[in-house]
Amino acid sequence: MPQAVKEKSKKAATLPAKTPTPRKTKFQADLAPSEDSMVRVLKAELQMTSNTDFLSDALALFRWAVSERKRGHRIVSESSTGERKILLFPRLERVAPEVTLPHVDVQWTDKELESLAELASGQPAEPTNALIRAMRK
Amino acid sequence: MAVTIRRLEEFDEVENFDCGDEPLNNYLKRHAWTNQEKVSIGVTYAAVDESAPRTVLGYFTLATSSVPRDRFPQKYVRGLPPYDLPLILLARLAVDKRFSGRGLGHAMIAEALKITLRVADEVGCRCIITDAYSDKAGWYARYGFLPLEGASATGPQKMFLDVRTIRRASSIDSFLPERA
Repeated sequence: MPQAVKEKSKKAATLPAKTPTPRKTKFQADLAPSEDSMVRVLKAELQMTSNTDFLSDALALFRWAVSERKRGHRIVSESSTGERKILLFPRLERVAPEVTLPHVDVQWTDKELESLAELASGQPAEPTNALIRAMRK
Repeated sequence: MAVTIRRLEEFDEVENFDCGDEPLNNYLKRHAWTNQEKVSIGVTYAAVDESAPRTVLGYFTLATSSVPRDRFPQKYVRGLPPYDLPLILLARLAVDKRFSGRGLGHAMIAEALKITLRVADEVGCRCIITDAYSDKAGWYARYGFLPLEGASATGPQKMFLDVRTIRRASSIDSFLPERA
């Protein structure tokens, strides 16, 4: 094998494998004329030129709203006079947890935290008979 | 007696509730509704009988909490996920003494644990913690609650139950008799 070819194949073997670029997905939507006009108006207001940027921002906003609702948080708008409105969006309500509990701070001693960490990081205990009975449907 | 457990409502009758412990009576009468609806620091569930659906026979209060990861001793941090530890706090559980011995405590803790499992499924939580009076620690231990070390001699005993243990219990198709 000529020296130049050998060098080249050696070099190729030491180079890291090229990461394949993720394929972009095309997104096509059939919009009613009123929705199409809404998109145009919004794009103009937000000074956006591309549909890709528009969709990307809308997606980010929607994703945030879903994650907030999933955590049981309500999405509220507040006017300059303090008037509040809660967003009720049926699709978002589908992801809201059935049970929402408020969050409180618990006072812990260092020893309690150590004991909690030990239990939480270990294997779970087997359920007792009373627990099994309690969890019956 | 056909008991229903549901969220505390504004016009529930709580004034005659007496579990024999003044702070627990007082919490239900003075604070439970406000804490639930106005300041949102705990949700109280009431056990009522269908024949008198406004009279509270027993109650428990739940809230969520979390422990920041950096508060744990370094030697245990490796065994824990790299986030704060989310948990449910079973803040109070009490039965009116006129109705004790009828399985209300069992019905309420069962409901509290089912809610815990639903919360764990919906938003994630790792364990349920309760502050038990020392003379009640044995009762919680029957359900698998483990005492945490480090409680003060006079204060309540913090107890721990892993959500994975509760989930395992709920998946067991048991034929255990109703009473051990």
